Amino acid sequence: MRRYYFERTAQLVFTVLAVMTLTFFLVRLLPGGPADALRANLIRNNPEMTADQIDRRVEAQLNIMPDDPLHVQYLTYITELLQGDMGQSLSQGAPVTDVIASAAPWTIFTVGTAVAIAFVIGISMGALMAYREGSRFDSGATITSVLLNSVPDYIYGIIFLWILGYQLDIFPTGGRYSSSTEPTINLLTPIQTLAFVGDVLWHAALLISAIVLVAWGGWALGMRGNSVQVLGEDYLRVARLRGLPQRHIAFRYVGRNAVLPMYTSMLITIGFLLGGSIILEQVFSYPGMGYYMIEALERRDYPLMMGVFLVITITVAIGVYVADLTYGLIDPRARVDGGGSS
Amino acid sequence: MSKQDGIATAAEDSDVDPILRIRDLTVRFEMDRGTSRVLNGVDLDIRRNEIIGIVGESGSGKSMLASALLDAVVAPGITDGEITYHPPTDEPIDVLDLSEEARRQFRWEEISMVFQGALSSFNPTMDIRGHFEETLEAHGYPIGPGIDRAAELLNDLYLDPDRVLESYPHELSGGMKQRALIALALVLEPEVLVMDEPTAALDLLMQRSIVSLLADIRDKHDLTMVFITHDLPLVTKLADRIGVLYAFEFVEVGETEAILRDPAHPYTRALLNATPNLDAPLEEMRPIDGSAPDPVNVPSGCAYHSRCPLATDDCEREQPRMESVTGSHDVACHHWTEVDEIPLTNEVDR
Amino acid sequence: MSSRTESVDVLESDKALETVADETLTRRDRWELAIERSVLAPARIVWSDLRARVGIAILSGFVAMAIVGTRVIDEPRTGEGDRLEPAFQSLAHPLGTDSVGRDVLGQIVHATPNMLLMILAGGVFTTVMATTVGTTSGYLGGRADRLIMSVTDIVMTIPGLPLVVILAAALSPQNPLVIGVILTINAWAGLARAIRSQVLTIRKNAYVEASKAMGISTPSVVRRDILPNIMPYVLINFVEAARNVIFASVGLYFIGVLPYDSVVNWGVMIDLAYQGGALQSMAATHWLLAPLLTITLLSFGLIMFAQGTDRMFNPRVRARHTTSNDGTDSTASPTGDRR
Repeated sequence: MRRYYFERTAQLVFTVLAVMTLTFFLVRLLPGGPADALRANLIRNNPEMTADQIDRRVEAQLNIMPDDPLHVQYLTYITELLQGDMGQSLSQGAPVTDVIASAAPWTIFTVGTAVAIAFVIGISMGALMAYREGSRFDSGATITSVLLNSVPDYIYGIIFLWILGYQLDIFPTGGRYSSSTEPTINLLTPIQTLAFVGDVLWHAALLISAIVLVAWGGWALGMRGNSVQVLGEDYLRVARLRGLPQRHIAFRYVGRNAVLPMYTSMLITIGFLLGGSIILEQVFSYPGMGYYMIEALERRDYPLMMGVFLVITITVAIGVYVADLTYGLIDPRARVDGGGSS
Repeated sequence: MSKQDGIATAAEDSDVDPILRIRDLTVRFEMDRGTSRVLNGVDLDIRRNEIIGIVGESGSGKSMLASALLDAVVAPGITDGEITYHPPTDEPIDVLDLSEEARRQFRWEEISMVFQGALSSFNPTMDIRGHFEETLEAHGYPIGPGIDRAAELLNDLYLDPDRVLESYPHELSGGMKQRALIALALVLEPEVLVMDEPTAALDLLMQRSIVSLLADIRDKHDLTMVFITHDLPLVTKLADRIGVLYAFEFVEVGETEAILRDPAHPYTRALLNATPNLDAPLEEMRPIDGSAPDPVNVPSGCAYHSRCPLATDDCEREQPRMESVTGSHDVACHHWTEVDEIPLTNEVDR
Repeated sequence: MSSRTESVDVLESDKALETVADETLTRRDRWELAIERSVLAPARIVWSDLRARVGIAILSGFVAMAIVGTRVIDEPRTGEGDRLEPAFQSLAHPLGTDSVGRDVLGQIVHATPNMLLMILAGGVFTTVMATTVGTTSGYLGGRADRLIMSVTDIVMTIPGLPLVVILAAALSPQNPLVIGVILTINAWAGLARAIRSQVLTIRKNAYVEASKAMGISTPSVVRRDILPNIMPYVLINFVEAARNVIFASVGLYFIGVLPYDSVVNWGVMIDLAYQGGALQSMAATHWLLAPLLTITLLSFGLIMFAQGTDRMFNPRVRARHTTSNDGTDSTASPTGDRR
């Protein structure tokens, strides 16, 4: 077991390093090269600066000394990244870290909420489908989830935006919250806080719905399969013979045994939807991480673009890592050794 | 085919005290190709505090008998007939006629069961203590004394109660799980314990040791045990009486001694001769020719006639009735008086 | 009804035949058997499933659109019609025109060939890469297996879309084949892992052990014993990868990440319609809906096809079909040419 933890941790470290290395070389592949672009920009705006000063500015903003040997550049880049310094965002005029720190909570909020809702709907539907295996409800729900799944989430987004946002004017068409609402999270002013939270949910509702619509089906089918299997297990028959109440069997037996194996996939899905929300955030002009990534791409703000990519990737890597390590805690079956002897 | 094949004979004697009286018990499944009778008009009296072994090959209906005793035949199976349970003090209970709630209480409190899939009978994500607690709770028994009793039972079964109660199923070996399951079956102090092939998945040594534990458990807790198996020599070590099932009906019922020494049915003789025995030379081991009959198309007359060396035309036409051999030893065979023509080649000892 | 049964039987008898009588067959016979086993027989089973038929019909429609449609319908030009003509009003522009008077149907049709090429490239890249990595890793085992799987795990961890965005920005791909590969750049990892575990299961089978014991070289064991067994699995994942290519490419064209110089692209159409006010005014609705429905139809076709093929590889489904239709007409020759 300890060996597994060690290997898994080594793998995480290696993944993070690999991704950092990837961004290091990709930046050098980008058209024009960020250093050149930045230098041209600086010269245009600051004609009085010397070449030396400009080089230093470039270094400060990009974490790169263009004239150093490659391995020195690489080491400098990694060292500064590890210190949390991802350079300066050209388009936002602020450190990349700050830009991401202000955008990340919004993406995490929307994706997290969407995954939670989709998961609850998915496993409830899946369990119902399994209990009524072969019924009209079962096949109807299966077909529905497959149909909903054959459309990408951003198409739902566009259609929602078109009908509910523009045509019927029920939901806002962009932004995190209304300009008229003060961002308030304060227990002393509950009314303003509630108004703010409501406004935030109202702005995110369509985006969240688009994710939910696509995501629930997969979990429903997964849950259905797991539950059908559990319903056929010997221990379920014994539980019924022992006269356990139906509710108890549904939750402690079917639910628990069918849901637990989906734990890892849920954490991983959150991670992947963080990346997948890039397009949706564009559709809804929702300033989260993906939105800034595309902003940065269009304005050749490579430090910000790479920063977002790094943050998303490392978040996913850590999410998978945590999922793998904690699975044994929540599912006793995964605890191969240890456990019983403690 | 007619349902009535046996009149209740010696079992109906007034001096025996049956805890379960089974009359004309039939389990059938309606299928496309006809009605499948996997238990066909079975009569049996199970005596209080006895261990009765029910022996039959696979597909003889023995598992159905186990399920039917708890009225737990899985849908779409239909159970007909009569099973009367005689509690020590109260009025007799018609098992097949209980309300849903009464049946829920009856199971496990009066008759409990350890069945075939013993090794997968525990919820893999719940520790063993959880299984005991939820069972006690579902039947309104106090948890504290219940767990004490569970610990005592586990102890009687040579398990370390503290360790086992805190374990998850996958942390226990097959033999440990099996014994924990027996303890779970006894935690509500039932009168009858039905065991359907409880040792099939265990190795030989573990089978023997569990069988010897069962006898102690029966004495200590005044239990009645129904031990269902395909393994005749195993059950002779344990059972007071043995019933032999063939083609969904009993063909012979009697004291273990009588069954071993004077088996009156050709099938019982064949079973005994087919028993592997380390001491006997291999050529004396006789596998039984032919195969078990199909529940949709049971042969007419005596179901065993196509495999029986003593079969005559009578056997094809007429179904034999239960006749008394001696005392409480009954057999359903037209030719039981000539059965010595099939020599016993194999000594099975108790 | 009977064709299903026989095809299943043919599948199985061929498998038995090849493992036993391989040496006696000529190279040509073996190829015929391989084609029969991995193409014709499954195709017959697939065709018996309604969903597969729907899927195949839709996909054929798209292929026809790419090959025939582009010759019949003219390439869209600016000003060939009025601005924002609505759909279903004239035969000249059945789906209406966009904001500069280009025929919407023409745009849809002429975007098809590139999209199909992209899908094909992505699907082929994913499955070839995954099959190679998965079978090699599973077959080699030991330290090589662990190393390959560690790398695979890392690739699998990187979220696809952000990586694709960066690669697209760095490489500015124009060629649809290259785009297809970039869009599925790390999609092979999950499939490779799945194939590896399949291989591990198959490896334990006696006949593979036997081949190894007979001293047959590793590559030919992989090719002869292992590949045929995982082909069904690969086919389904090919479809899955193809679907992801559609979703990602349209999405990335839509948000302007993939570079384009021509408007004949569904994602570009959505982008232009979106920016051209299709959401705000009903006048441009047809311009937005046409590509949306096209994408939905294509991906629906792929899903139906995948579901239909999935059924045939499901042993339970197969078993049910074999038992329920047995003994009707069993004149199938080993090579399966009947009727």
